[in-house]
Amino acid sequence: MTTATARPGTTSTPGRRPWSLSRTAVNGALVLATAYTLLPLGWLLAAAAKNTGDLLGGRALTPSTWHLGANLHALATAGDGIYFRWYLNSLLYAGIGALLCALVCVCAGYAFHVYSFPGKEQLFGLVLLGVLVPTTALALPLYLLASKVGVVNTFWAVFVPSLVNPFGVYLARVFCAGYVPGEALEAARVDGAGELRTFWSVGLPMVLPGLVTVFLFQFTAIWNNFFLPLVMLSDDRLFPVSLGLYSWNTQTHAFPEYYPLVVTGSLLGIVPLVIAFVALQRHWKAGLTAGSVK
Amino acid sequence: MTPTVPTTAPTAARAVSAAPSARTAAARRRRYGAPTVLLAPFFVLFTAATLVPIGYAVYLSLFTEHRSGLGFGGSETVFTGLGNYTRALGDGAFRGGFRNLAQYCLLYIPLMMCLALVLALLLDSALVRARRFFQLALFLPHAVPGTIAALVWVYLYTPGISPVIGALNSAGAGADLLGHPLPAVVNMAVWEWTGYNMVIFFAALQAIPREVLEAARVDGAGPLRTALSIKVPLIRSSLTVVGLFTVIGSLQLFTEPMILHGTTPSVVSTWSPNMYAYTAAFERHDYGLAAASSVLLALAAAALSFVVTRATRTRSGRTRPQTETGAVA
Amino acid sequence: MSAALSRSRRALRAAAALTAAALSATLLAGCGSDDEDPAGAGKTVDITFWGWAKGTKEVVDAFNASHKDVHVTYEEIPSGAAGGYAKLSNAVKAGNAPDVFNVEYPQLPDFVSQGAVKDIGEYVDADLKAKYLPQAVQLTTLGGATYALPLDAAPQVFYYRKDLFAKAGIKTPPRTWDEFHSAAGKLRKAEPGARIATFFPDDPTTFEAMAWQAGAQWFGTSGDSWQVSLNGPETAKVAGYWQKMIDDDLVRVEPSFSQQWTASLQKGQTAGYLGASWGGGVLKGTLPDQAGKWAVAPLPSWNGDAAGGMLGGSTFAVSKDSKKAKAAVEFATWATTTPEGIEARISAGNSSAYPADPDLVPVAAKAFKADFYGGQDVYGVYGSAAKSIGQKWTWGPAMGVTNTSLKDSFGRLSSGSGTIAQALASAQKDTVAELKNRGLKVSAR
Repeated sequence: MTTATARPGTTSTPGRRPWSLSRTAVNGALVLATAYTLLPLGWLLAAAAKNTGDLLGGRALTPSTWHLGANLHALATAGDGIYFRWYLNSLLYAGIGALLCALVCVCAGYAFHVYSFPGKEQLFGLVLLGVLVPTTALALPLYLLASKVGVVNTFWAVFVPSLVNPFGVYLARVFCAGYVPGEALEAARVDGAGELRTFWSVGLPMVLPGLVTVFLFQFTAIWNNFFLPLVMLSDDRLFPVSLGLYSWNTQTHAFPEYYPLVVTGSLLGIVPLVIAFVALQRHWKAGLTAGSVK
Repeated sequence: MTPTVPTTAPTAARAVSAAPSARTAAARRRRYGAPTVLLAPFFVLFTAATLVPIGYAVYLSLFTEHRSGLGFGGSETVFTGLGNYTRALGDGAFRGGFRNLAQYCLLYIPLMMCLALVLALLLDSALVRARRFFQLALFLPHAVPGTIAALVWVYLYTPGISPVIGALNSAGAGADLLGHPLPAVVNMAVWEWTGYNMVIFFAALQAIPREVLEAARVDGAGPLRTALSIKVPLIRSSLTVVGLFTVIGSLQLFTEPMILHGTTPSVVSTWSPNMYAYTAAFERHDYGLAAASSVLLALAAAALSFVVTRATRTRSGRTRPQTETGAVA
Repeated sequence: MSAALSRSRRALRAAAALTAAALSATLLAGCGSDDEDPAGAGKTVDITFWGWAKGTKEVVDAFNASHKDVHVTYEEIPSGAAGGYAKLSNAVKAGNAPDVFNVEYPQLPDFVSQGAVKDIGEYVDADLKAKYLPQAVQLTTLGGATYALPLDAAPQVFYYRKDLFAKAGIKTPPRTWDEFHSAAGKLRKAEPGARIATFFPDDPTTFEAMAWQAGAQWFGTSGDSWQVSLNGPETAKVAGYWQKMIDDDLVRVEPSFSQQWTASLQKGQTAGYLGASWGGGVLKGTLPDQAGKWAVAPLPSWNGDAAGGMLGGSTFAVSKDSKKAKAAVEFATWATTTPEGIEARISAGNSSAYPADPDLVPVAAKAFKADFYGGQDVYGVYGSAAKSIGQKWTWGPAMGVTNTSLKDSFGRLSSGSGTIAQALASAQKDTVAELKNRGLKVSAR
């Protein structure tokens, strides 16, 4: 963030029109925007080290007391260490779920891009219709259906619906259009490769950044989703982190000792997402670039 | 009903015309086999987890629970036709939710889009160092779960706890965001989505051929002029798609006001249409009404996105809609 | 629903139950459960239980450890208003309801009229009933049938800061609402930032408890129809009083348990809390640095005589579809009437709940450390408050709607764009409309 204050001398070159952009102004604006986006995260970081009294007394940003260790310990021991079980569950739901979902979406998006068949655009329209339906509206019918099938309060009740992302199919189709040139497929076909073989060994590797992008977005979506698990699960050993934190948060009224747990738990809950986005930076940026450019 | 079908893929035609004549079963299998295999997993899941529940929701919306006397004898389900729909539409709270939603969209969408665009243009200008850092830092809020973000913002809105409100108050600018739900909700959404959409715009800007920009410079256009009259028009299709998905996402507004509702009563239980449906289902146990209001909301979203695509399609005329990524809002 | 359909639903439900059983068996395999006793007389009955209050897990563990005939599987759900009730309703609708669950008094009639709750009259004899506080029994008896066993009574009391009151020259806590008003004025005069209490716009039950105290009867039945009167003279008196307190800026208007409210308590800007018995433990946990500064007093009343209402409080209800009602009642009876049950609950945290079985009060009093209140006999105050709870109050069958409506209009109070009276009028209208919509009979009083 040091760029802001760097070289104050180069503010404006003589001869420029007064409203033209100076280096300091541009960087200053970006630093401001960054401060805005990072402020809540910084607060969370500082607050995670506070106890109930400091947190609610508005002393979240004063370094007077340091309770991070105590909070982490409380987090690890609350409910026999249930938090880390939730954490593991979330990694399973989101990790496997997003991977399968991304694959499924890319398969479908590839098919929509490469092939033509009767009713294709109508079918694609149907997929987009899925984007329009509020997810909260689906939760209750899904629950009633799931209970008819007998999978309520099981891993599958949360896992299976999270494999579906119509928007991912849309993205995948766009990515394929950006990444998979017809010539490459043609060449593979000329070489005698079957259609599925062509997809697997030519199409899929080409669209890999797109796959990563869909994976990341779905990973975030599943990780953050608490509504469906809330409706589906009653056994807290199956909870994902989001739902566990939510249910702790509902108890802070009667039991204020949960406040630091929720805050510290939230901080830890963001870590995998941040790591995923930072580590896969190159891929999703490439994915987005391919999507927006032709 | 198809919003933005982005690609008219030339390769598709080629794949098909490869074997135009042979109408044998084997050929048909070859032609449709691969797409079937590739599409099947998605459509099986899509049917099970989306289409069937939608159908079921529509079915539920036609029924209502009926009790008699004191009601302690339990209830029975009776068919009511469109009764739930007329009840929802006749309810001032439901219409009030749409009013809030309209205000929210009018404030949030232009604000977020402009901010994202300006930041992308700044980042794209030759004057910036540490591009990677800025890009990541601005994008980071997207990785924060909506529930956690809302929770943190509630702390930051609360007088007496929030360092921000404290600083504003001591600077003489009293801010009561908890009493004013609209800016409070808009701020949360802007925080969460600006960086994300900025990355998309930035990616599009980076792809503008350097020769075009060079030519503009030779013509004597300053950086601002270049930005407004060269760069922005060139990424217009990205703008429309981001706009479309922002509209769709905005209509489903739920998490942010819901968490605020738990903290400040100025956000009523029916603040957005989605919250109305939630309250109907989970506080009033009125599943029919909940389903009907959800269906109405989905219909509104469909109609609106149809209008948006129509409008942009006719406006952008012949320019082929570039492929874009949008915002999963 | 046709017979065939219901048969197939039953089959599906059986399959679901089997799956669940298989699953829980695998999950529990490592936990060393106690049903590995094939020689035992009779089979262990397994029941599921949904609750959320802290300490509930300990109660279940204690029960399981001491019982061979019934085994309880506890599943923690989010607290009622925060999604727990929604979950329960869904489960009832889908036929997955647990055998026994916690529900608060105000929501009980709603669940009964959803067809979620079983009439457990045949398992509850007169002796058992006589153990509980009569007001609590009355609130769990609807239309002459017994629908739940009360866990705690929740009399409303007044918590206040001794030091701040002394500083303002208030020697004894206010006994009447008039005294409360003048104490509020003195307090603000001594310390302009301080207020005596908070009007909770998000929690109509506090207001309801005060209307209850004043003798109002919002709901009643006559024959097979409901009477709804949120607009009676007693309620109007309470509404007028609090409207004036708000208009005179003598109380804060802040959501209960919100960060705002807690922050103002922390800073000594709020010197009192009109809360229930269980609120005593909450204050203690929220304000650890203020130990010794607080005290409890009976709720001020209109004429100086002890009178009160109830604010929350939980019961154990058995779900209508449960095939194991007997075992469920056995568990609920144990949890609500044995010292072990109460002890397990209270020793798990800071709970200051007041047991609905008065015989257990000494147990609870002993388990709750009152150092926060300077060693005061808080349970003594709760006890007399519990006795004075008004006996005429009945909760309505759609409290969700009534409270949501009140909450939504109370939200306008702080901006001055609405009044308590207006809120009551619209809640009356919304409630009657909802009852009629559900097909219930509503008659004028």
